[in-house]
Amino acid sequence: MRSKIAKRAAAIGWPILVTAVILLAWEISVRALGIRSIILPPPSAVFAAMAERHDLLLTHLWPSLYLTVLGFGLSVVGGIFVAVLITYSTIVRKGFYPVIVVSQVIPKISIAPLFIVWFGTGTLSSLLLAFLVAFFPMTINAAMGFESIDEDIHRMARTFMGSRWQIFWKIRMPNALPYIFGGMKISITLAIIGVIVSEFVASQEGIGYLIKLAGGLLDTPLMLAAITALSVSGLALYAIIVGLESWAIYWQPPSDAVGAGGG
Amino acid sequence: MQPAAGSLASGLAADRGRGGTIVRIAAVKKAFGEVEAIRQLSFDVADGEFLSLLGPSGCGKSTLLMMIAGLIDPTAGEIRIKDAKVAGPRREVGVVFQSPVLLPWRTVLQNVLFPIELLKLPRRQYEPRAMDLLRMAKIDEFSGLLPRQLSGGMRQRVAICRALVHDPSILLMDEPFSALDAITRDEMAVELQRIWQANRKTVIFVTHSIREAAFLSDRVLVMARRPATIIDELPIDLPRPRAIAVTEDEAFNRLVRHLRNAIEASHAE
Repeated sequence: MRSKIAKRAAAIGWPILVTAVILLAWEISVRALGIRSIILPPPSAVFAAMAERHDLLLTHLWPSLYLTVLGFGLSVVGGIFVAVLITYSTIVRKGFYPVIVVSQVIPKISIAPLFIVWFGTGTLSSLLLAFLVAFFPMTINAAMGFESIDEDIHRMARTFMGSRWQIFWKIRMPNALPYIFGGMKISITLAIIGVIVSEFVASQEGIGYLIKLAGGLLDTPLMLAAITALSVSGLALYAIIVGLESWAIYWQPPSDAVGAGGG
Repeated sequence: MQPAAGSLASGLAADRGRGGTIVRIAAVKKAFGEVEAIRQLSFDVADGEFLSLLGPSGCGKSTLLMMIAGLIDPTAGEIRIKDAKVAGPRREVGVVFQSPVLLPWRTVLQNVLFPIELLKLPRRQYEPRAMDLLRMAKIDEFSGLLPRQLSGGMRQRVAICRALVHDPSILLMDEPFSALDAITRDEMAVELQRIWQANRKTVIFVTHSIREAAFLSDRVLVMARRPATIIDELPIDLPRPRAIAVTEDEAFNRLVRHLRNAIEASHAE
């Protein structure tokens, strides 16, 4: 039997190896084929751009991350709140829930220009778009979690004369946590997309603005540097949620999967 | 407190040498829409008695138990506990379900104390009692573990402790060992008898195992399938405590044969 540490090392090691091979192949082929940096710079040039212009990158990264986290946080609070209403109010469940589910199909990102018209080109538009796109999966997941309690557990609690309030806090809430974290993992990714898209559409700052600006200047290394910085930040946010998840849902057997994905 | 060897003819008489009637089932009927689940049931359960309801799966015995627990209402007739009509879940009743239904995020001890929290009783006062129960069920050393770390038999022991923690006078058990393997089942039956003898609760035990019913009970009611009616009543006057070896005795096997014949006769009809 292999030790846990060896398993973990393999789980992390293989993806790193694959990434390294891809980067190496990229580097070699760009150089060998003589592709111009404006079309596709080699990874080394991207890393150089990141090191050289880290001030610029960070200046634009912070507001984007700030709005992402804020929009995401609001979507978590709002989503759970609406999910509670769905669980306990017949009107909301029968009337609004189907609308919410169906509206999942609408690419909400497409209303970014409308938000610009309504709320201007500032941070408010970005924040609201991040919130909007992250809110729906959060709500649906949390509602599923609150609904999914085992009928026997419900009966058991009733035989001990548990009140609705007690059943909510002591059973429905912990029972929904895995669903809520599942929703959070979807929502954080969507919140990033919401902020970036609204920065693409109209903004004077943010990493989305920087990517667009670099594209306009044909500064491809800077563009890729910004994309890399954004991706790494996104991964970090995701990893924080996965970490919180395994801490909060301590009763679930640890899965074999390590890192991205997480379960 | 030897179980009295009541005669079959004495029928539904409650007094079997124990206390008076604690549960009375009076002309109870239950229909789910068009389907008649229970036709017309009447029987009494004496205080401190271990009564088994024996019948094939789907004969409405679980439905009856859920009605005694106050989780569902009878269509007609009434159920009285300590002379009060059952209209909802009551404090003096503890229920053990077919599956342990433990909360996976709570430790064994926290699961056992769950009813105390729901009933808003002082936790500090009941914690020693919970530990005593766990000790009695021989799982006190696992009090800090999570349910997933326990075997099926141990989980069901936790569920039994949970049903007893608030000191109910009546314990309802709905095929509590049916998900366990045969060896664990026998073990659990012995354990349950021990716990029952130490606590002297009234137990209404639903099962489809003839052996289990004969081994554990003071009295067995045999139920026929759909709609449920009582077709036989058998007092079990084997001395207690009963060891698992009693199941090899001729006296025990006579009782088992009697119960089996009763069930088969109902099928033949």
